[in-house]
Amino acid sequence: MSVNKLRPHIFVLPEDDANHALANGFRLNPNLSQRSIQVLPSAGGWIKVQSQFQKEHIFPMERNQNRHTVLLLDFDEMANRRDEVAKVVPQHLSERVFILGVWSEPEDLKKAGLGTLESVGSKLALECQNETRVTWEHVLLRHNNIELDRMASKLKHILFPVL
Amino acid sequence: MFRRIYIHNYRCLENFDLPISGKSSTLLIGKNGSGKSTLGKALQLFQSMARGTNRVGELLKIEDFSQGRIDAPIRFEIEVSIGGVDYAYKLALEMPAGFKEMRVFEETLVQNGIAIYERNRAQVSLNKTFTNNEAKFLVDWHLVALPLIQEQSEKDPLSIFKGWLARMLILAPIPSLITGDSKGDSLFPNLEVTNFGEWFSGLLAHSPAAYSHVDKYIRQIMPDFRDIKNPVVGKDSRSLTVQFYQDQATISLPFMGLSDGEKCFFICALLMAANDAYGPVFCFWDEPDNYLPLSEVGHFVMQLRSSFSAGGQLLVTSHNSEAIPQFSNENILLLYRRSHLEPTQVRAVADIAFHGNLVDALIRDDLEP
Repeated sequence: MSVNKLRPHIFVLPEDDANHALANGFRLNPNLSQRSIQVLPSAGGWIKVQSQFQKEHIFPMERNQNRHTVLLLDFDEMANRRDEVAKVVPQHLSERVFILGVWSEPEDLKKAGLGTLESVGSKLALECQNETRVTWEHVLLRHNNIELDRMASKLKHILFPVL
Repeated sequence: MFRRIYIHNYRCLENFDLPISGKSSTLLIGKNGSGKSTLGKALQLFQSMARGTNRVGELLKIEDFSQGRIDAPIRFEIEVSIGGVDYAYKLALEMPAGFKEMRVFEETLVQNGIAIYERNRAQVSLNKTFTNNEAKFLVDWHLVALPLIQEQSEKDPLSIFKGWLARMLILAPIPSLITGDSKGDSLFPNLEVTNFGEWFSGLLAHSPAAYSHVDKYIRQIMPDFRDIKNPVVGKDSRSLTVQFYQDQATISLPFMGLSDGEKCFFICALLMAANDAYGPVFCFWDEPDNYLPLSEVGHFVMQLRSSFSAGGQLLVTSHNSEAIPQFSNENILLLYRRSHLEPTQVRAVADIAFHGNLVDALIRDDLEP
């Protein structure tokens, strides 16, 4: 089996390879439940994330209450990007859909001296596990705070189950 | 952890430097014939030497010279960091006119910048910093000195370096040949992992707690897995059996009866347990995604990467469109050859310009250094 569809699981739909690298780094966390998360192929742009979600993910999510989806995209310094993308998320699924991303684009995390994209992803995972927010508070990431609060309550137990 | 691997004049590898320093896991991509498996063969040479093969003729053949260029030496140079100590080993071999077999031309082993031994053709000099007395002696120039020099103790730097090389795992499993039968035990799986049973016995003898790692991983993939046993089936021989259960029913299968993909999950489980038990180890796995269904490939590769991110070093090759995205452009290396007459080039994918995602670019054949 891939992710266990009978148990709560998360699909990550990244905009491009750079976002995919962040997700890969996140998944390197040794305490992460590997089989509860699957990173899907890069969509090729935030509009394609939106359209792909609409075409391919809404119906399966309606059929499977265990599925959660993270849309991982560039905000391109657009304050309304999350609202724009959220327009295609039906109200009855909104609790299980999360929209995250770098304020500009992931490459700027490297330019800001935070390390490679995978190492940033690993730091973000560790902070999620430990419920801290140091890297998450970086100017390129802190706009995700409200979404992170939702993720902490809805996804943390899926990603980091207490044994 | 390897800090440097340099190979010259060996098959398609000329002046070849593999940039994997500081990376816990790296993916090699490239077309058939680009040099991925050749690199694995070169690493196997170091492993074989450390495991005791000393005759140059058993390690290399005249065909191993690049383009038949026997007038230049074959060079291997590696730098590794083991427990915070740096080791550098160099071996150069030549084929003088009239010889039927290569001979050692230069060989040195250095620890933190200080030579443990140096060799010029047959003459070997042991440094007194690492032995009780400085010593000079002759070694047959058709023999590599590394496996021959006597270790003083387990703390001897020579012993540490050789032990690390010997424990390297170079894997290209052929599951159909893996029976699970064994006579004795070993910590050294062979290339095809046909001695899986010996490896299983050796690992558990070395570290019984390793079983819990195997058990935990296999249960994630096969929820009906109960246990794996290695009973005695004859004089000095054992045979692995795997037990599954559902509700009140159980079934016991010989290891040989598992599918090829299922055997690969057990290899993965043993590899991760080995890295934990007697690691950190270096592992080269040629196409670990072989035999696996698409839905499993991503989890399999990411599980390996995650396991090695805590210690050890993983180098894998792949052509698989599901395995490749489990790595990021920053830890993917492209091996490339323009023709069979030209040597392998290596380039980090992060340094190559292409449009769209990597897998699409590979399908379009748009990736060139």
